[in-house]
Amino acid sequence: MNFFQRAIKNITRRKTKSILLLITFFVIGNFVIIGLGVSQASQSAKILTRQKMRAVVTYSTDWRKIDKYVQELEDEDKIQEFYNNYPRISITDVQEMLKDERVRTANAVSINTVYANEELDFVHLGNQAEENRGGGTSCYYDDATGEQTCVEYVEPNFLMKGNYFPDMIEFADGGYTISEGRFYTQDDLDNARPVVLVTRALADHNNLRIGDTITLMLQSPTDIETYLGNYGITIEDVSREFEIIGIFEHNTPLLPDSPNYDYASPYENPDNMMLIPNTAFDDMRLSIAQKQFDYWAENNPEEEYYQIPDNRPTEEDVLYLNDVTLLLNDPLEVDGFVEEYSDKVGQFFSLNANNEEFQRLSKPLDTLSLYAKFIVWLVVINAVVIITLVTALTLKNREYEIGVLLSIGASKAKIVAQFFIELAIVAILGFTLSIVSGSMIANKVGQTVLDYQIASSGINEGEDYDYYDYNNVWDTDYSSDVTLDDLVSEYNVSVSPVIIAEIYVVGLGIVLVSTIIPSMMIMRFNPKRILMNQN
Amino acid sequence: MAEILRLENINYSYIDGGYERSILKDLSYTFEAGKFYTILGPSGSGKTTLLSLIAGLDEPKSGNIYFEGRNVKEIGLHKYRRNDISIVFQQYNLISYLTAHENVMLAMSETDNKLPNDRKQVAYALLAKFGIVETKANRMVNQLSGGEQQRVAIARSLASNVNLIFADEPTGNLDTATEKEIINVFKELSHEYGKTVIVVTHSDTVSEMSDQRVLLKDGILQDI
Repeated sequence: MNFFQRAIKNITRRKTKSILLLITFFVIGNFVIIGLGVSQASQSAKILTRQKMRAVVTYSTDWRKIDKYVQELEDEDKIQEFYNNYPRISITDVQEMLKDERVRTANAVSINTVYANEELDFVHLGNQAEENRGGGTSCYYDDATGEQTCVEYVEPNFLMKGNYFPDMIEFADGGYTISEGRFYTQDDLDNARPVVLVTRALADHNNLRIGDTITLMLQSPTDIETYLGNYGITIEDVSREFEIIGIFEHNTPLLPDSPNYDYASPYENPDNMMLIPNTAFDDMRLSIAQKQFDYWAENNPEEEYYQIPDNRPTEEDVLYLNDVTLLLNDPLEVDGFVEEYSDKVGQFFSLNANNEEFQRLSKPLDTLSLYAKFIVWLVVINAVVIITLVTALTLKNREYEIGVLLSIGASKAKIVAQFFIELAIVAILGFTLSIVSGSMIANKVGQTVLDYQIASSGINEGEDYDYYDYNNVWDTDYSSDVTLDDLVSEYNVSVSPVIIAEIYVVGLGIVLVSTIIPSMMIMRFNPKRILMNQN
Repeated sequence: MAEILRLENINYSYIDGGYERSILKDLSYTFEAGKFYTILGPSGSGKTTLLSLIAGLDEPKSGNIYFEGRNVKEIGLHKYRRNDISIVFQQYNLISYLTAHENVMLAMSETDNKLPNDRKQVAYALLAKFGIVETKANRMVNQLSGGEQQRVAIARSLASNVNLIFADEPTGNLDTATEKEIINVFKELSHEYGKTVIVVTHSDTVSEMSDQRVLLKDGILQDI
């Protein structure tokens, strides 16, 4: 008849007390399960939705911070000096970030339209824009003469995307796939090698193969003829022969039902997109900028700016980055990454996790999770108080039993253990029963409170307008669209093994804490006093 | 006869209304093994206090108690109660949610003394010896009569295989016939099993049947 057996006998033979305790634990268990279930479902819904989002971080120049800083500068010279040397994102910094094992790749992409010689035909959409195509007139004010000059221009046919890193987010996340050849390498980038990847559609349309060459131009011959020639820029200055090293496919076709299908220019058709190492045109861009500066310096001697040699465009001026998009391996690491690196990037830069909409929409879930945790704590604290009181009151009635046990030499520790086991067994039974009932009601309760929370929070889907639906080729949106439905569809209150484990841990915790005060009472018991009083 | 319990210069007092009240005064006495003792004394003489001291439920203010030559303090009160003595109370002090048999088994489970392997059967046999047959042994103790409960308490006191048994007014709640039965049991324990039985009582019937009557008066023990 050891203390464990005594505990069992006490439970089974004092049925009324045991059943009352069982009901208490059962009710507590149900509340805890609902609380834990709702809390876990809220967290899981956020995690699952976040996991579906792209793990992208935008590293960009923070113009608001720059403006604020400039406003605080009172000296005009200092303001001018600051603007002449305003902070720019450094490729070296991004390369350091790429060494972080959480970062998969980065896009520091320049997007330009390019022209090709007549041998390369663009992939036709056969839309309205093509029928009306042919160019137009572009007017500008000539600073040299002060007169308006209008020139003919020819619309570019191709879009060129150049990255400063030997990979692209689009390839890493499966938006683009290499179907033949290869992507450009760091060596290609370092040596500004004129290599290009073309789309499968463009390659098939022009019968292009790996190793073929195509000539691309940053400006059209018409532009050279009409105004760029004035700066001394020749067709050779803007043309370069590129070797095709890869053919890729994309998953962003411009379909007839796209909003801007009819008005899309050829370069807006993703089939007419080319990928090059960004360095391949760097020297050309710098040269064009410098020739233009030299022209203005020569023809505008009264313009002080052009007379200062330091103002002549340098690589830094021409080849700067406004923003870099980093793709991380795990969407759940984004927030931690942003937090860690926010202090490391300079004061005029910022890192953005691109999850503002996600944060906005997940507010009801956060609130729900908070309430659920609050309820769990409230129930646990109340449970501890109630069970402690019940145990302490029961203990008063069992003083005599304790005295007997002490008189026959039972240790106080064993008596405490018996009381703990009595409570623990009933608690385990109560919580086990509550798992069954809790599983049935948690989902219903969880869904009801979520609906109420959404309704009372005033969260809605917002404007159903997506700028990027209009196939804006100049600004790629790497963030993921997320809707309230996405979050709600992932919200599923269920009693998982983790919750079951938690409920037992919570239950045993309640029992343990509830036994502490009665145990202290037992430790103070004097067998003589108990037994002599009894007698 | 060999000594089993020796009290040396025992003093005990307590504070009552701000004054120290002395109960036992330099009390010395030796109990011999295998005898049936009764301790008598007027109400308030300190009989129950003395019993609580020699049963290891309390400690004297000064003096020493030796069990089989070993100082009880050195043995440790807890260990002393577990392995060397057992107590029979006026109120029987059985655990109400256990059967008679389980109450006896309870004492067996706590002691460190060597006991037979078939404890279950030994417990039944012990109870049977005191007239508690198996069907009654399997009843909850509150379903037994007062006399039966006291027999269960005595059986429990023997279950841990100790040599020294104390009893505090063990027949106080029993009728005369049952009282005699219980006294005969105590006599049997001392004379046939060599146990030392020390009973605190007011009852002349009980004291007359004991081997040695001891009077507690003015804080000291003296043979009558």
